[in-house]
Amino acid sequence: MKALDDVSFSIEKGQVVLIVGSSGSGKSTLLNMIGLLDSPTNGNIFIDDINTTTLNDNEISSFRNKKLGFIFQFSNLLSDLSVLENVLLPLQIAGNDLTSEEDAIDLLKAVGLEDQLHKRANKISGGQAQRVAIARGLINKPSIVLADEPTGNLDSVTSQLIVDLMKSMAKKLNQTFVIVTHDRQHFGNVDKVITIKDGKAFQVEEFSTMEITV
Amino acid sequence: MKLAKRMLFNKRGSLIGAVLAVTVGILVIHVNFVIFQGLFDAIVRDISEYRNGDILVTNEDDYIDKSDSTIVSWFERISYVEAATPRLSSTAEMEITKNGKLIEKTRIPVVGVDPFNDIRASTVHETVTEGTYVFSRNSIVLGNTVAKDLGGATVGDIVKVMIVDRWGEEQTKRFTVSGIAKSPGGQGFDYSAVIHIDTLRDMTNRQDQTGSIMVKLNDPTKAYEVKEFFLLSFPNDDFMAETIEESAEQQLAGFRSGIAMINMIGYFGMMSSAFAIVTIQMMLVNGKTKEIGVMRAIGAKRKDILVIFIFQGMLIGAIGAGVGTATGLGYTIYAKETKMSFNNSLPLEVTYNWEKIIQTALASFILAIIASLYPSYRATKLLPVEAMRTG
Repeated sequence: MKALDDVSFSIEKGQVVLIVGSSGSGKSTLLNMIGLLDSPTNGNIFIDDINTTTLNDNEISSFRNKKLGFIFQFSNLLSDLSVLENVLLPLQIAGNDLTSEEDAIDLLKAVGLEDQLHKRANKISGGQAQRVAIARGLINKPSIVLADEPTGNLDSVTSQLIVDLMKSMAKKLNQTFVIVTHDRQHFGNVDKVITIKDGKAFQVEEFSTMEITV
Repeated sequence: MKLAKRMLFNKRGSLIGAVLAVTVGILVIHVNFVIFQGLFDAIVRDISEYRNGDILVTNEDDYIDKSDSTIVSWFERISYVEAATPRLSSTAEMEITKNGKLIEKTRIPVVGVDPFNDIRASTVHETVTEGTYVFSRNSIVLGNTVAKDLGGATVGDIVKVMIVDRWGEEQTKRFTVSGIAKSPGGQGFDYSAVIHIDTLRDMTNRQDQTGSIMVKLNDPTKAYEVKEFFLLSFPNDDFMAETIEESAEQQLAGFRSGIAMINMIGYFGMMSSAFAIVTIQMMLVNGKTKEIGVMRAIGAKRKDILVIFIFQGMLIGAIGAGVGTATGLGYTIYAKETKMSFNNSLPLEVTYNWEKIIQTALASFILAIIASLYPSYRATKLLPVEAMRTG
């Protein structure tokens, strides 16, 4: 049985794309494949004109580090590090020194956490953690930010704040977001919605403009 | 590295456990070293100070015929030599009358010494706990055990000594007990009697002969050099000269294997601490599965994860080696300062063997790193998605 089959679509730079579908439809598998966390048995995934299916393990790691940003459902911050250190982690993994600390602080200011910089990651609320995750996902100026159910663990008010934040960051930074969600309503207007059903791209809807409501 | 440190230091229990494992491993080796090497060195010290000196000169076949004063003078002209003294040995039968009762004792080792030279080349005279050392031709020092066997002989008692001379004739002489010798460790003269060497020569009819020459050096490291020089200087006298390691080899061989075994036990202890580190590191890896998955997802290579856990192993090894060495040195200092003794009797010869101390610390450090390899390898094998899901 194939988790995904006959799925083909393209995403333009700066677009906010939703992948929706019922539980078990294969949307997270699709996101993992775009994120090079999983590899397809057949077919190709091109990101920035690079066929990612041909990369070896080290190249995949570098690619993930430089071209992709991740936001997970449970934020997945490293509890041993502070808020600022979590945001800086992708840079440190890339081998950059801390000269980009200012960028990290700017991003944390943009997500409204300038007063939490040195707090341990396990001492902040779920909504704050998800905002840190957004900042961490953006720190390397990736080609795509991949978000897997980013509001799945939050109450509706906080969820809306996170959605609005992602959309505003997308607009402000001309950043591509690919978001897996089962709750399309929260996101309002986006550039593209891909509906996955039984592992197939059941429907791809494109919209000419995306309205941002913050 | 910062992350590795944080991950480790935030798990204080694991860190303390791992460091303790290394510390205990090192401490066991230090304690073993202080006690067993100290005991070994104490025995070497006593053999050297009481019986063999730093160099022991004998004749290849039986007795030294050359004048003892010639040999002693020859040695004492060398700047490395502190003193030299002749010795002669035999066995005797002794009789004493205590409270009207005649007490006899046979096969008692008798050592003939030259009192003037002996107190310079040996410390046997310091083992005389009651009375004084041999000072005249008819004074005798009894070992503590001999004195007991002779019904509790004390200073001033008269002892009749019978020795069979070189011609098989029994020679008898009465001695006044001048002192009782007692020393811990079994290398002293507790089971012997000490008399003037010239008296023993007369009694054994070996007027111009000497059993051995005991040479004490002010720099024992020059023993081999002095020995070789002596043998080269007297090529035709059938002399045999041995350093303390050579002359005491038979007595020390058993101890050497004992120490090797004890050291092995220490190293096994170190190996157990390595297993403890493997377990603790595995716990750390299991406890950080999700974090490893996240790091891999945001771009950490397998090598980066490997480095984190090996660095943790290095930290555990370094802290453990530091604490273990400090504790071990603390114990060694304590043993030295308090003049720790074995079985409350033989004072241990405590030394700081820096080569061994550094070797032990380094071995623990390297072992901690080796012990971290498998858990680190396991950590690199985690798949990001699986790790985040199951962590």
